[in-house]
Amino acid sequence: MGILSILLWTPAAGVLLLALISGQNIQLIRTIANLFTTIAFLLACRLLSIYNSHDANLQFNEYFPLNPKLGSAYALGIDGLSMPMLVLATLLTSIALLASFSVSSGVKGYHICILLLEFGMLGVFLAQDWALFYIFWEVTLIPLFFLIGRWGGKRRHTASLNFVLYTMGGSVFMLISLLAISQYDLEHGGSLMSSMHQAAQDMPRVEQVLVLLGFVIGFGVKMPIFPLHGWLPLAHVEAPSPVSILLSGILLKMGAYGLIRAVVMLPEAAKLLQPFLIFLGLFGMLYGGLLAWRQRDLKAMVAYSSISHMGIVLLGIATLNEAGITGAVLQMTAHGLIAGALFLLVGLLYERTHTRNIQDYSSLVQVMPRFALFMTLTLLAAMGLPGSVGFIAELHTLIGGYSSSPSVVMGMGLMVFFSMSILIGSAYAVRTISSLFTGPVKPQMQQVKDLTAPELLAAGMLVSGVVLFGLSPGPLLDLSAATIAQMNGVISQRIL
Amino acid sequence: MDALVILIPLMPLTAASAIGMGHLFGVISGEADESITADIAGWTISMSSLLALTLLSADLLGKNTGFYNVGHWLNSDTLDIQINFITGGFNVRLAALFSVLLAIVIHFSVNYMHREAGYHRFFFILSLFSSAILLLVLSGNAVGTFIGWEVAGLCSYFLIAYAYDRPVAVANATRVFVTNRIGDAAFVLGAGLSYAWLDSVNWSNINAATAQFTPGEATAIALCFAVAAFAKSAQLPFTPWLARAMEGPTPSSAVFYGAVMVHAGVYLVILLRPIFEHAPLAMAVVAIIGLMTAVYSFVVGLTQTDVKSSLVFATSGQLGLMFLECGLGFWQLAGWHLCAHAVVRGYQFLVAPSLLHHAHGNPIKPVAAPLAKLRWGYVASLQRFWLDQIADWALVKPVRGLAHDLSYFDDHIVDRIMGIPAPAIRTISSLAQLEEQMIGAQLDNDSDTFAQGSGLAGKLTEWTAALLHWFEDRFVLRGIGKGTVDYGRRLGHIANKVEQSVLRPRYLVLFVFITLLIAF
Repeated sequence: MGILSILLWTPAAGVLLLALISGQNIQLIRTIANLFTTIAFLLACRLLSIYNSHDANLQFNEYFPLNPKLGSAYALGIDGLSMPMLVLATLLTSIALLASFSVSSGVKGYHICILLLEFGMLGVFLAQDWALFYIFWEVTLIPLFFLIGRWGGKRRHTASLNFVLYTMGGSVFMLISLLAISQYDLEHGGSLMSSMHQAAQDMPRVEQVLVLLGFVIGFGVKMPIFPLHGWLPLAHVEAPSPVSILLSGILLKMGAYGLIRAVVMLPEAAKLLQPFLIFLGLFGMLYGGLLAWRQRDLKAMVAYSSISHMGIVLLGIATLNEAGITGAVLQMTAHGLIAGALFLLVGLLYERTHTRNIQDYSSLVQVMPRFALFMTLTLLAAMGLPGSVGFIAELHTLIGGYSSSPSVVMGMGLMVFFSMSILIGSAYAVRTISSLFTGPVKPQMQQVKDLTAPELLAAGMLVSGVVLFGLSPGPLLDLSAATIAQMNGVISQRIL
Repeated sequence: MDALVILIPLMPLTAASAIGMGHLFGVISGEADESITADIAGWTISMSSLLALTLLSADLLGKNTGFYNVGHWLNSDTLDIQINFITGGFNVRLAALFSVLLAIVIHFSVNYMHREAGYHRFFFILSLFSSAILLLVLSGNAVGTFIGWEVAGLCSYFLIAYAYDRPVAVANATRVFVTNRIGDAAFVLGAGLSYAWLDSVNWSNINAATAQFTPGEATAIALCFAVAAFAKSAQLPFTPWLARAMEGPTPSSAVFYGAVMVHAGVYLVILLRPIFEHAPLAMAVVAIIGLMTAVYSFVVGLTQTDVKSSLVFATSGQLGLMFLECGLGFWQLAGWHLCAHAVVRGYQFLVAPSLLHHAHGNPIKPVAAPLAKLRWGYVASLQRFWLDQIADWALVKPVRGLAHDLSYFDDHIVDRIMGIPAPAIRTISSLAQLEEQMIGAQLDNDSDTFAQGSGLAGKLTEWTAALLHWFEDRFVLRGIGKGTVDYGRRLGHIANKVEQSVLRPRYLVLFVFITLLIAF
C-alpha cells in the first residue's frame, strides 16, 4: 500500500473509529477527529517533501484493476496539478475542525461527516481513473447534504436540497460525457485518463464539442460558472462556517480541477469554445463582484466574491496557454487560502456578535486588534494587492488572457473588463474594512472578545500562507510548472 | 569569521519582531512586562555588539576576507541583486562603534522610559532602528544600504512622533520625514545610475570601476549620493529638520541625532571615496556645503537658549566639518572625526536633561563682544536664516497651490464623472458628525446609502448591480433554485396520488388481469 492509499484511507479509518465511539463522549470524538485530520495533513506534507516537482508525469502511481470488463481500476497518482490541492484540502480540513468547537449538537455525526467529506475530496484529487473520480465526486455530496441540512442556518433544508439537486444535475451531464468518450475506447474501456486522451482524439469534432459542453456544465456547477451558480449563495450563507471554509476552499476547486483535466483532454473543442468560455469567465467576475458589492450580509458577500474569483480561474483555463493555466492553478490555491480565511474569520465574528450585517459593526479595531489584522490582510489579498498570493495569480491570468486574444482590441477589451472587476473587488473589500474596523464607537460592539489561541493558529496559518506565497511565489510556481508545461505542450500540439 | 556579519543586524531584528509580535498578541503588555521587553532588546543588542567586536578583532588580526556573500535576493533579466556584506575596514569599525553605542543607549533607556506610555513601542522601534543602521553600514550593495537607510528614516519618523497625541510632534515628524525623502530620491537615483552605467549595485564594483566612468558620469553619481548624504546628515539646505527632530524622547534623540543616524551621510561619502576622488566638482560641492553648514551652525548656535537646540547646531556644525574634510581629501581624518564625534555627542545628549545639575557653579560664557554687537547677525541667527520660511515659500506654497487647483479639477470634473467615496461620516468623531449634519449630510437614513454610488461611474455601477441583483433574485435563485424544489414537490404529490389510486383493489385486480392476458 503506497503513501497515496494511506493518505486517502486515513480519514476513512477515522470515520470507522468514530462510528464505534459513543456519542456522549464529546471530548474524545473531537480529539480523534482532529488527530486523524492532522495525520492526513502531515502525510500530505510528507508527500510534498518527497514529490519531485521537475517530473511532469504522474508520480507514486498505484494501480489495481477493479472491473477488467469495464476497464475501471483503483488507480491513484499525483502530478503538479493535484499536489497543491491535496495539501490545501488537508490543511483546510484541519482548520475547519479547529473552528468547529462551537458545534454542540450531534457532535459525533458532524465529525463523521467532515471526515467523510475529506475522504471524498482526497479521492477526487488522487483518482486517475474516471470511474473512480466520478465515485469520489458523488461521495462528497452525501456528507455535505447532511452538514448543511442538519447543522445549517434557518433555511438549511432549502439550501441543502438546492445544492444536491444542482450538483446531481451537473453530474448527470458529466456522466453522459464520460460514457460518450468511453464508447470510442472499447479496448481500455475508458479507464485511465491517458487512454481517454487517445479516445477523445478519435471522436468527430461535433461530438468533441458536445462532450466538452457536458463537462463544462458538470464541473461548472461546482466551480461555479455564471448561470449555474444558483446553489452557491444559499449554501454558503446557510452552511455552518467550518463547512463554508471547506465548500469554498476546496469543493469549488474540484470543479476547476476537473475542468482543467477535461480541457487538456479535448483541446480542439476547447479552442472552438474559447470565446464563449472567456466571456463566461469575465462575465462571472463582473457579475459576482457587483453582487458582492450589494450584499449587506458578510457571508453572502464572501460567497459572491467567490464567484468573482472563480471567474478568474475559468478565464485562466480558457486562455489555453501556459501563463493563463498557471494563473488558474495559482488562483485555485490563492482562493482556497483567501476564501478559507475569510469564511473562518467571518464565522468567528458571527459566533461573537450573532449578526452578519456589515452595517451593524463599527470600530472593532479597538476591541479586536488581532482579528482586525488578519481580516484586513485577507481582504487586501482578496482584492489582489501586490504582496499577496492573489496578485500573482491575477497577473498571470491577465498576461495569459492578453496573449491569447486574437487582436489587440480584444486584448485591450479583456484588460478593461478584468480591471473593472478588480476595481469592484477593491470597492467592497475596502468598504468592508472601513465599516468593520473604523467609525463611531457602538456600545453593543464593545464587549466582543478577540481571537483565542487555537483561532489565532488557524487564521495565522492561512494568512501567513497568503502573504508568504505572495512575497516569494517561486516554490508554489515551481510545484506545478513542469505539469503545466506538459499540458501546454499537449494543448498547443493538438490545436495546431 | 565572515559569516558572523549576518547575525549582527539580524539579532536586533529578531528582538524587534519578538517585541512586536508579543505586543500584538497580548503576551507582552503593560508595566508588568516591561522587564521582558527590556531584556529582549538589551540582550540582543549586547550580543550584536559582541559579535561586531569579534568581527572587528578578526579583521584587525587579518582573518577576514573583507566580503561575504549570502546569496541572491532578486533576479530578473540582467538585474541581479545579491545579499552581501562588507566584513573589513571602516565599515566594521563603524559597526562595532555604533553597536556599542546602541547597546549603551538601550540600557540607559530601560530606566529612563520606565512607566512611560508606549514603553514597548519605544523598544520595538529602537531595536528595529539598530538592525537598520547596522545593515546600513555593513551591507555590501546599494540596495541593502538603502533598505537600512529607509528603515532608519522610518524609525526616526516614529520616534519623533512618539507622543502622537501632540499635533506639534506629529507635524514635525512629517516635516522631517518629507525633507529626508529628497535625499532618499537622490539615493535611488544614484543607485539607478550606477546600475545603468555599470550593471551592478555592489559598492565594491562601483568603487573598483571608477576608472571606467567618464568624469561626467562619476560626477553625476557622486552628486546624487552627496545630496542623499546632505539630507541625512542635516547639511544645508536641509539643516532645519534636525532642530525639529528633537520632539522624541531623549535617548532616541541621542542615538538618532547625536551618536548614530546623522553620521550615515558622512559614512556614505567616505564609503564612495574612489568615486568622489574621480569627480573634482563633487568634491568641491561637498567641501563648500560642509563649510557653509559649519559656519551657519556656529552662527545659529550662538543664540540658542535651550540645551537640545544648541546640541543640534553643534552636531550639524561638526558634521559640516566632516564634509569639509572629505571635500578637501582628508578622508582618514574625517573617519576618525566621525567616530570621536559619535562618542562625545552621544554622551552629551544623554546627560542633557541633567545639564542644570552639571552647570551649577560653572556658568556658560557669554559671546565675544565684537560678535555680540552685530544686530543683523543676531536677528538672522535667531531666525535661523529664515531657512524654514524660504523652504515654505519656494516649495510648500507652490505645491499647495497646485494641489488646490487639482483639487478644484477633482471636485468639479472627476468627481462628477467617477463619483466620490462614501461620506466620511463613519470615520470621524461625533462633533464632526454634527457639522456634517449641519451642512446637509443625511445621517439618519444611512441604511439607504449602502451600495450606492455617486457620479456617473458610481451610478452606472449601482444600476448595473441592481439589474444583476434583480436577475439573480428572479431567475437564478427563485426561478431555478426555488422553482426546482417547488416543481419537484408538486411532481412528488402527483406521483403519490397516482400510486394511491393504483393501489386501490379494483385497479390492482385489473392490472393482474391485463398482465395475465399479455402473458398468455
